[in-house]
Order: sequence, then structure tokens, then C-alpha cells
Amino acid sequence: MDKALEHKFVTNLEKDQNIVHKICRIYTNDQASHNDLFQEITIQLWKAYPKFRGDAKFSTWMYRVALNTAITLYRKKKRGIQTQDYDTVHFRIKAEEYNDETEQQLSLLYNAVKELNDIDKALVFLYLEDKNYREISETLGISEVNARVKMNRVKTKLKKILNP
Amino acid sequence: MDELELLKKDWKKQDANYPKLSYDQIYNMLWKKSSSIVKWIFIISVLELLISTFLSVLFAGDDYWVQLEKYNLKQFTEVLFVIGYAITFFFIFLFYRNYKKISATDDAATLMKNILRTRRTVKYYIAYVLIYNGLTAMLIFSYMIYLHINSQDQTLIKYSFDTLDWIKFIGVGLIVLTLFLGLIWLFYRLLYGILLKKLHRNYKELKKLEL
Repeated sequence: MDKALEHKFVTNLEKDQNIVHKICRIYTNDQASHNDLFQEITIQLWKAYPKFRGDAKFSTWMYRVALNTAITLYRKKKRGIQTQDYDTVHFRIKAEEYNDETEQQLSLLYNAVKELNDIDKALVFLYLEDKNYREISETLGISEVNARVKMNRVKTKLKKILNP
Repeated sequence: MDELELLKKDWKKQDANYPKLSYDQIYNMLWKKSSSIVKWIFIISVLELLISTFLSVLFAGDDYWVQLEKYNLKQFTEVLFVIGYAITFFFIFLFYRNYKKISATDDAATLMKNILRTRRTVKYYIAYVLIYNGLTAMLIFSYMIYLHINSQDQTLIKYSFDTLDWIKFIGVGLIVLTLFLGLIWLFYRLLYGILLKKLHRNYKELKKLEL
């Protein structure tokens, strides 16, 4: 493939790489898996890039391919025992305005999301990314009504995990 | 749900805390190997085709053809081979078409459906290989028995079997054949089962909603 296309793709991805990192964060539990999934998503994005027509925003298109990779295409590699709590090490930088109680609640919430299945994780992710039900339904291939129903079920599931 | 709103608020705050990969780091990733399910299914099905071709070439040496000619089976086997290869090429075409259809830019449900369809094609192919081999083996087996019974050849008549011997002979033959085919079947069940367990679960999750 030609250099110009490569350059355009990498530049775009570099700019929007947070989307991929966020998906990796939800779908993996340690740094090595995070890197693996990031790489696989990059490969899939690159493979699909010639089909990207530019009629959608690059980031919108990315959501779809990246989530598809996490849910459908990616084969997890076997990992050794995970010793470190990835979230506390890398992301949960304590914000000034949070008190301990909020902090604890958030940590429980993140753990609860980790317990969901792949599809539910995708819903939570899209919800956290402020996507509307139309966008959620288009990404997952279900109707808008179903997306709503599903989202409500996920909320119930999360409640159950938090208050067993 | 208040909790989810809290999570959303925090989620946005975390934006600055993600790793930042450089242009070069991302660029280098473009040439790395993919480990996608689709690739694995493809590799396995190509291997499957190669192995079954290899096996038939291996078994069908010169001796094999000479023997067949002796028993007047040559033409029959040739016809079987032609039919067999025609069907195999039809499957290759189906595999190819399925892979062309799989696109990461589809919505998740369509993508999963296409991958599962690919898997179904492979399953049919395996079923075909098993049935084809089983039937061929049984046909040749029965023909041999028929020849033996009707043989006027003195050297063969020496080994005359009584009924019990025949039952034993056929029984053992059938058990070996069943074991052999069963083993192949189990092997594929395990292979694709492991490969597609997660995908199947996810797809069922989405299908549930459509009911």
C-alpha cells in the first residue's frame, strides 16, 4: 500500500488512540494483554482502512472496528498469573475532589464492569463514551429498542454485582 | 443509575491518563502478525484440505491402482475420485466466498453471523469427508467380501471362513472404521469448539434480544 495512505492512517490513529486504549482498558486485566489487544486492533483497523471512505468520521469508524476486534476477532493469548492490579497501577490516579468513599465506590464499579460479558462491556463502553442508542444499535447490529432493553438489563446486572 | 453516572464522570476525567504511543510505535504495529479468529479458521481449513489430499495421495500409490485393476475397481475408484475432488473444490470456493464476506467494518452481529457461517461450512466439509470415506470404505469392503465368496481361485478358497469368522471379521472392520472416523470428528469438535466458544456465547447474547 502506498506511503501516503500509511501516513494518513498512522496520523489519524495517533490522534485518536485513546479510543483504542479505553477499549483495551475495559476488555483486559493486565498491561501485557492491553498491549496485545491494542496491537490486534491496530492491525484490524489497518486491514479495514482501504474500505474507509471518509464519509464517516475516522473516530466513529474506529469504534466499530475496534469493538468488533475486542468482541469477535481477538484470540486471547494465554497469560501467566497476574500479580498486579492493573487499574490501580495505571489508571486510578486519585482525583483531588474525590473523598475516600467515592474512591472506593468507583473502584468497585470498575471491577463490576470487568465481570460483565463481552457484549455488555461494549454497551457500557459506548454508554460511557456518550453514544446515543442509535449509534449503539448500529455498532452492535441490534435495533434501538433492543439496545435500550439491553442497557437496562446491564444496569440491573451491575446493581446485582455491586449489592449481592 | 447514579453509579453509572458517577462512572461516566470519572471515565471522562481519566482521558489524560492513558498511555501515549508515538507515531513510530503505531507504524511498527502495522506489520505485526494478527492473531484473529478468522485467520485461525482459515489456516485450519486449508490444513484440513491439504491433509486430506495428502492422505489420499499417500494411500493411492501405484500398488493401490494395480490392486484395484485386478479387482475391476479401477474405474469405480476413478469416478469416486473425480466426484470427491469436484465436491472438495466446491467447498474451497465456499470457504473463499465466506472469507471475502467477513469484514471488520460490519456491525458486531453481522460479523459474528458471518464467522459462524464460515464455521458451519467447515463443519459440513468435515461431515462430507467423514461420510465419503466411510461409504467408500464400506463399499470396497463389501465388494471384497463378495469377490471372496464368489472366487474360484484355489489359493483364496483355502482360507474359507465360516459364518462366525465372517461376523468377527465384519465386526472388527466396522469398529476400526467407527473409531477412526470418531477420532477425526472429535478432533474437529475440540478444535473449533475451543476456537469459537467465546464467539458463540457472544452471538447467543445478541440473538436472545431478537426473540
